[in-house]
Amino acid sequence: MRKFIPIIVFAFIFSSCEVIEGPYMSDSVNPIDTTTNNYVKNILIEDFTGHLCKNCPDAASELEAIQSVYGSQIIGLAIHSGTTFARSYPIDPVSNPDDKFIYDFRTMWGEELDVFFEVSENGLPKGMINRSDYNSSGDHRKDFGQWSSIVADELDKEVKFGIDIEVIQNSNMPSDQFDIIINSEAVSNVQNNHKLVVCITENNITNWQKDGDIDNPTYTHKHVLRSFLTPTWGDDLSSEEINIGDSFSNAYTIVISDLEDFNIEHSENTLTLGNGNSGGWDLSNLYVLAYIYDISNYEILQVEEKSLF
Amino acid sequence: MGMKKNYLKKYKTLFRNNMKIRFVIFLLTFFALSSYSQNSGQISGDFSLNLQSYVEDEAINAQAADEVILNNAFLNLLYSNKNLTIGLRYESYLNALLDYDSEFRGNGIPYRFATYTIDGLEITAGNFYEQFGSGLIFRSYEEKGLGIDNSMDGIRLKYKLGKGINIKSFVGKSRTYFTYAEGIFRGADLEVDINESFNFENETKYIIGSSFISRYEERSNPIFEIPQNVAAYSGRLNIISGGWNYFGEYAHKINDPINSLQESEMNYASGNAFTSSITYSQRGFGVTAEMHRVDNMLFLSERERTGKAYIMNYIPTLSKPHAYTLLAIYPCATQAMGELGIQLDVFYKFKKGTPLGGKYGTKVNFNFSRINGLEGGNSMLNDNIDFSPKLFDFSQELYFSDINLEINKKINKQISYNAVFANQTYNKDFLEGKTPGEYGTINSTIAVLDLSYKIKKGHTIRFETQALFAKQLETATNDEEGDWLMGLVEYTISPNWFFAFQDMYNYGNENESKRLHYTNINIGYLKGSTRFEIGYGKKREGIFCVGGVCKLVPSSNGLNLSITSSF
Amino acid sequence: MKKALIIFSTLFLIANTNAQEKSLPNIEVKTLKGKTFNIQDLDNEGSPMVMSFWATWCKPCKKELNAIAEVYEDWQDETGVKLIAISIDDSRSMSKVAPYVNSSDWEYEIYLDQNSDLKRAMGVSTVPHTFLINGNGKIVWNHKGYIDGDEEKLFEEIQNLVSK
Repeated sequence: MRKFIPIIVFAFIFSSCEVIEGPYMSDSVNPIDTTTNNYVKNILIEDFTGHLCKNCPDAASELEAIQSVYGSQIIGLAIHSGTTFARSYPIDPVSNPDDKFIYDFRTMWGEELDVFFEVSENGLPKGMINRSDYNSSGDHRKDFGQWSSIVADELDKEVKFGIDIEVIQNSNMPSDQFDIIINSEAVSNVQNNHKLVVCITENNITNWQKDGDIDNPTYTHKHVLRSFLTPTWGDDLSSEEINIGDSFSNAYTIVISDLEDFNIEHSENTLTLGNGNSGGWDLSNLYVLAYIYDISNYEILQVEEKSLF
Repeated sequence: MGMKKNYLKKYKTLFRNNMKIRFVIFLLTFFALSSYSQNSGQISGDFSLNLQSYVEDEAINAQAADEVILNNAFLNLLYSNKNLTIGLRYESYLNALLDYDSEFRGNGIPYRFATYTIDGLEITAGNFYEQFGSGLIFRSYEEKGLGIDNSMDGIRLKYKLGKGINIKSFVGKSRTYFTYAEGIFRGADLEVDINESFNFENETKYIIGSSFISRYEERSNPIFEIPQNVAAYSGRLNIISGGWNYFGEYAHKINDPINSLQESEMNYASGNAFTSSITYSQRGFGVTAEMHRVDNMLFLSERERTGKAYIMNYIPTLSKPHAYTLLAIYPCATQAMGELGIQLDVFYKFKKGTPLGGKYGTKVNFNFSRINGLEGGNSMLNDNIDFSPKLFDFSQELYFSDINLEINKKINKQISYNAVFANQTYNKDFLEGKTPGEYGTINSTIAVLDLSYKIKKGHTIRFETQALFAKQLETATNDEEGDWLMGLVEYTISPNWFFAFQDMYNYGNENESKRLHYTNINIGYLKGSTRFEIGYGKKREGIFCVGGVCKLVPSSNGLNLSITSSF
Repeated sequence: MKKALIIFSTLFLIANTNAQEKSLPNIEVKTLKGKTFNIQDLDNEGSPMVMSFWATWCKPCKKELNAIAEVYEDWQDETGVKLIAISIDDSRSMSKVAPYVNSSDWEYEIYLDQNSDLKRAMGVSTVPHTFLINGNGKIVWNHKGYIDGDEEKLFEEIQNLVSK
């Protein structure tokens, strides 16, 4: 009998193989469940990227492909980070006559996140999907090929918070000053401590990007992180314990030109190989992005986005 | 699915938290076995410790480590008793040396196994290393120098089915750092020695083999059909007759697309690889000619992941593995996605007493290799594209070529030398993933003279001089490092001591501020099976390869201590 | 703490087992003719054997084996010793083992340990690593690395073994 065991095992193994014949695209896209309460689960994809990273446009287009399947439930945040991939080239007509890669997309907060989550040091592109797996044995830095399946898992999770963003601008304010009010609500039982992070992103910036083997001067950079209105690790929602049904309100007043000046100054004086070329923000493309995360494992539980206009 | 994952995660966490408990259990087992072993079994093992301090050195762009000192260490323990072998490896990375992936962090026993053999059936439970054929579809191995260890964890059976017929089969998951990759592997291999099994009395020996591997990963994709079970198979033939030896293997992998939502990333093409070598040798002479063609043959333990830790197959590189530093500055790395390569080696010994042979004979080794890309890259198939490159086309982009001659000669009882002359062409842009035109292709001419002089019994002094002259074959945006000189003096006292001093000098760098010296001093002490080595100096940033698998080693400056020992 | 524990337990184990002479593991390797060979079947009719782990890409290994090759006949005449050279070359360089060995005129018994099974079983972390095996198939001495002149020390050990 013993003689046959290996043969049987051997024969079994050969039965596992799936050759797929075209067409490869399946036509049934499952619609997303609408949940029982007023809020749907949104997912934040933090795409760590750099204009000198030749494979990063692949990740950016994966993000777009995911958005085209799941719609507004997917919110992207492109964080240009690290000296290797996101440093700015010097503005110098001799060595760099085409002004290639002279823009500095980096920010103080992006760099801090990058160092904390150890992303760019291990090579880009990498992304975090709701920062899942930070406190598990898995790797929280995901290759873009993994994104869609993690997004699918995340969408199955329970909605814990709802976020609503209000942007107010009165006629007596300067044209680039805004009041931003983040109204949030605990829609499920939550146990740990949670914090709120609010930031500003800019969509559709046309600038240089290494894309595969070419240097593309007119690449469209999407949802680029510009600024944080809260500290990097967020503001408290409440000083007391949070119960189901509790709602919170956090307010911020911002002046865009001040935020812009801060980045210029930071690029010039603090960032490695920075050149202060971080300005030229386009008000009409700016968005407010707000998310709530669990401080015990950094997992992002809800995220919302709204245009400044 | 979510449930399952959570469960898995919980299990993993539990597993981790119980590290201490597991560790103690292992130790107890070993103690028990070792006292039991007084009359029957035996224990052996080996130990290695590598400590490195890092100081900042702006000139060579070396970083200081926050921890000041980094540590890699491991200890292997093996207990064997007749048909039973039990083993484990304790690994410690506190924290890992800078040239290791930072995922190697902490302590653990990532390797433990038990094997027993009974009536020709060998059963292994736990971790094992395995290779099918030449590794084209599957190779699980460890290479400490590269920080690669993709040992399997599972069950393996090996069985001698009859005279000259061996089968192997296994199921398991592959190790990545301190965890296991998602893919579940099932594999089987059959090897038949025709002469033995059919009592074939013949001068010519025929061995045939066939392997099969299947990987399962749970996948769903809202847009594309995704195969969850991906298989690869191969067949091989080995004919040995007199001084001749032919080996050929063909491997095929079915469609293995990643789980993307973008069509441009979805590749349903199958992969294949073919390797062939023919060898002839007789007393004083030997020749080997090899070729291979690889197309879309990267087989990963998690198909969406990047990084060498996930690679599960091995395409042997068709170039000579050089031992001298400057010959290895521009090393060849196999392109599993697609390449076509040839290699020729000739070994010859000029006999003693002939004009070229002198008193002791002269050995020469000529080697030539050339690797180029496939037309248009690798095969690609989806609803919009159906492309396969031409079968044999040597006119495509050159990746690497090397032509070299090595001469080894003993002049008299005191003096012997080894000399190498080489000309290498290295497509830096392609092999290092740069944008075309960034560095271009580099051609280098290298000469090495390695001279040993025996002073008296047990005392030998050795001088190594190496020079590398490099030029970029086309204009590129960045300058390469240019010309190098290297010198080494080594004094050894058998059987215990060695002292070495070496200097590498990048005297030909276009950028004058980068014309730097990289000096190193090393002292080693060897006694029996223990070796201590202490070194101080600067290491150049570079690519370090073993067997065509490469890693980038950052520049460093500091003190290094290593101890290896076996018992 | 854990490290201290492991070091102590290792020392304990060494102390506990060093007294006994180790035998060769039950591992299969291949001959240059493609035949499977169990390393426990090594035999030299009661005379000692030297087992040396090497690779075609390893300079000191080749130095050691070439140095021994020059005096091998004398060694054999005097002590009846046989040298077993275990190549750890993997599929990249395995095809160069036979041409290298033949062109170098080595008279050794050559085996291929392609999957490093024997290497691991014998605790070899780096090559060269040389073992001395007595007439009863027990490992009595081993040495890591090679320094010019080490072969003389090895020969002394062989002589000691034979004169015992």
